[in-house]
Amino acid sequence: MRRALTLVLPGLLLLAACDGGGGGSTSASGDFDPATCQGGTLTVLNQGGITHLDPARLYTSGGGNIPSLLFRTLTTRNRQPGEAGAKPAPDLATDLGTPSDGAKTWTYKLRDDVFFEDGTPITSADVKYGIERSFAPELPGGAPYLRDWLQDAASYQGPYKQPEGIKSIETPDDKTIVFKLSKPEGDFPFLATATQFAPVPKAKDKGVGYEAHPVSSGPYQVESYEPKKSLVLVRNTHWSSKSDTLRYACPDRIEVTAGLDAAVINQRLVSGAGQDANAVTTDASVGPEQLAQLGNGGPLDKQVARGEFPATYYLAFNTKKAPFDNQKVREALSYAVNRTSVVNALGGSTIVGSSTTFLPPQKALGYQQYDHFPAGDTGDPAKAKAVLAEAGLTNLTIELAHSNSDDSGYGPKVAAAVQEAFKQAGVTVKLTAIDDATYRDVTGKPATEPGASLQYWGADWPSGGPFLIPIFDGRQIITAGGNFNLAQYNDPQVNAEIDAINALTDQSSAQARWGALDEKIGKLALTIPLAHEKDVFLFGKNVKNAVPDGWRGTYDLSRISVK
Amino acid sequence: MGAAIAVFMILVAATAPLLAAVAGQDYTTYHDNLLDSARGGVPLGGLGGISSEHWLGVEPGTGRDLFARVVYGAQVSLGVAVGATVLEVLIGLLVGTAAGLGGRWADAILTRFVDLVLALPILVIAISLLAIVPQDWPRPLLLATVIAVLGWGGTARITRGETLTLRTRDYVAAARLSGAGWFRIARREILPGLTAPVLTYAALLLPTNMIVEAGLSFLGVGVRTPTPSWGQMLSTATTWFRADPMYVLIPGGLLFLTLLSFVLVANGLRRALDPRQSEVLR
Repeated sequence: MRRALTLVLPGLLLLAACDGGGGGSTSASGDFDPATCQGGTLTVLNQGGITHLDPARLYTSGGGNIPSLLFRTLTTRNRQPGEAGAKPAPDLATDLGTPSDGAKTWTYKLRDDVFFEDGTPITSADVKYGIERSFAPELPGGAPYLRDWLQDAASYQGPYKQPEGIKSIETPDDKTIVFKLSKPEGDFPFLATATQFAPVPKAKDKGVGYEAHPVSSGPYQVESYEPKKSLVLVRNTHWSSKSDTLRYACPDRIEVTAGLDAAVINQRLVSGAGQDANAVTTDASVGPEQLAQLGNGGPLDKQVARGEFPATYYLAFNTKKAPFDNQKVREALSYAVNRTSVVNALGGSTIVGSSTTFLPPQKALGYQQYDHFPAGDTGDPAKAKAVLAEAGLTNLTIELAHSNSDDSGYGPKVAAAVQEAFKQAGVTVKLTAIDDATYRDVTGKPATEPGASLQYWGADWPSGGPFLIPIFDGRQIITAGGNFNLAQYNDPQVNAEIDAINALTDQSSAQARWGALDEKIGKLALTIPLAHEKDVFLFGKNVKNAVPDGWRGTYDLSRISVK
Repeated sequence: MGAAIAVFMILVAATAPLLAAVAGQDYTTYHDNLLDSARGGVPLGGLGGISSEHWLGVEPGTGRDLFARVVYGAQVSLGVAVGATVLEVLIGLLVGTAAGLGGRWADAILTRFVDLVLALPILVIAISLLAIVPQDWPRPLLLATVIAVLGWGGTARITRGETLTLRTRDYVAAARLSGAGWFRIARREILPGLTAPVLTYAALLLPTNMIVEAGLSFLGVGVRTPTPSWGQMLSTATTWFRADPMYVLIPGGLLFLTLLSFVLVANGLRRALDPRQSEVLR
């Protein structure tokens, strides 16, 4: 469980992943009938994405938006609005998996009526092969969880170098697949939504060249694909809606264009000229221009989907560096922070909300409200000064690292807002801008990690585990780089509690304990939670059923209709 | 007219702290209560939040006083441009006269070197240079130096050309015959003759340097927040141009006016100092 930052990673869905699923959409699905929605061409206008199309290389939350049109996985997200959508649902498998041996063994049965685009039936060996490919160093980019979880797989180098495969994945027959894990993992059905769990027919595998035309198991197949530029999908005739009730697959054809500017995309969605009336975007959240036209009963209010992807913007302290080894300093700064300025720097209260908890406010993650260092809406500099004086510190000067780009949500604008708030409390902040491309490398290596830095964390799946473990589990401190436990906090009691929660397969009891753990760690002020993400996405005026799902916060392309 | 605007801008820049104090504002304080957060942080009220307290309104997204930011921005924009121009003229004069007076070999080598400097892609090199230097170096000084170091080629070339014509004049020959050294000739005989062309050229360089500074700040390698500069303001304004047009119009308009005034001043200078032109006019 190393990283969850769906926004930053280079895969297809990454950008698409940042939107959430709490709020209601104006395009209600009340009169929408999936049986008669078929027809038309859907246009997708995106800023980035489609860098890769190989299921082994995609880093997605819940299988992604575009990839999920091509790849069916053992389980998938439930594709419902609100809380119901924050749960996994069976996809290729007949159920969410049967745990045994205290959640250390997970057994899945495949459906009988599932086929590749060439009509070949999908077998458990294809799923196993797909997972093994994702271990190949030639195909990097996927989420690192499987390497951590599967028994004796940590050093596996992929089927090209080690054709014998992974022993801890067993396929006793064509329809059964068994995973043997090194430790109990109650969240396995959530992980099985990732594209690494998509079947890959060994006979068709071309290694790095496979992504030019990956073999589809979903409702669409690739007609043409140019990385980072365009992708055209047409129907896969061997897919049947009887075997897949979650994907409606309404449009006959889907045309994705990437490399556009966010302002241009939103302007095109607003004007809706020609084919743009049938257009959507999976990665361009609205800007101030569109916000000015929203919420006043105008025509644009019917073309917006509001959701919430579970993600937190926060300030991380390195407790190995002075003065942040002093808890009083961390507490004082927590009192000083002005969350209203931060929210405005991130684009205003419509697209972010202020947070005092590390877990974002989704029930699926186990959110519990707490505010250990009440700063009000605009900060409490007087209290901050008092705490500093108590600790015998005056004229404090600190350094704060941030990315040089505002696109990431931890750039100069947020840094300047924090700097100004701390100034009110008598703390001088020196800002250190780090190039966005190397930001995670610098902050993620304890040797080069700054004392304080701005960060963003998004959920790989809606559960407390992928949110708290990489950040607060002391065994996840990685000195070689790629570290996210930036506080370098290692408390055996917390680690033991994490193991105990991981063994739970009942989500509601796990949620309560993740929430309690977050509340407990929060008292140490290892981070200053700043804000949580909200997602506001426009769609063209002919687009129907653009309902944000509770897992990802954006509308689901597999359910949209343009007929 | 041009001179009046130019003088006014220089005055504004020079007295920025005073002007901000008169307005009762500073350029760093956030005024979140003046923003409509739900609409992305646009200023409340018309014309970008113009009020009796905030004479030019407030900056969208932060609520910082726009008047204070504009006058301090003038300080940075003009300061960097003037600094860079002065440096360029100094380096250019030095290299140009040395090439013009230094004999065949010195001339050949220096001229090639000037050609090299002129061929440098200024923006590209400046961006990479500014991106790698430590961030605690004073940015405005750094900007002026980088712009000057990459941009002195033009002055050097003009100086050399003028020097080559001046050195053949009789009064220079007379000075040589009376035993004056090259340094003294350069200082007493050549330099006064260079004043007119170099001054005119410098007046044209100034607005160019302002554009370069604005461009670098626009591209994110110029002065760093919270220090304001017009280019940097225009850069953030690109996302606001429909929601809050005043935020684009104010720094954009000022930049335009200032550039125009300096170009007019340069033209006026050239006309006044160029003897041929003045004869035609008479």
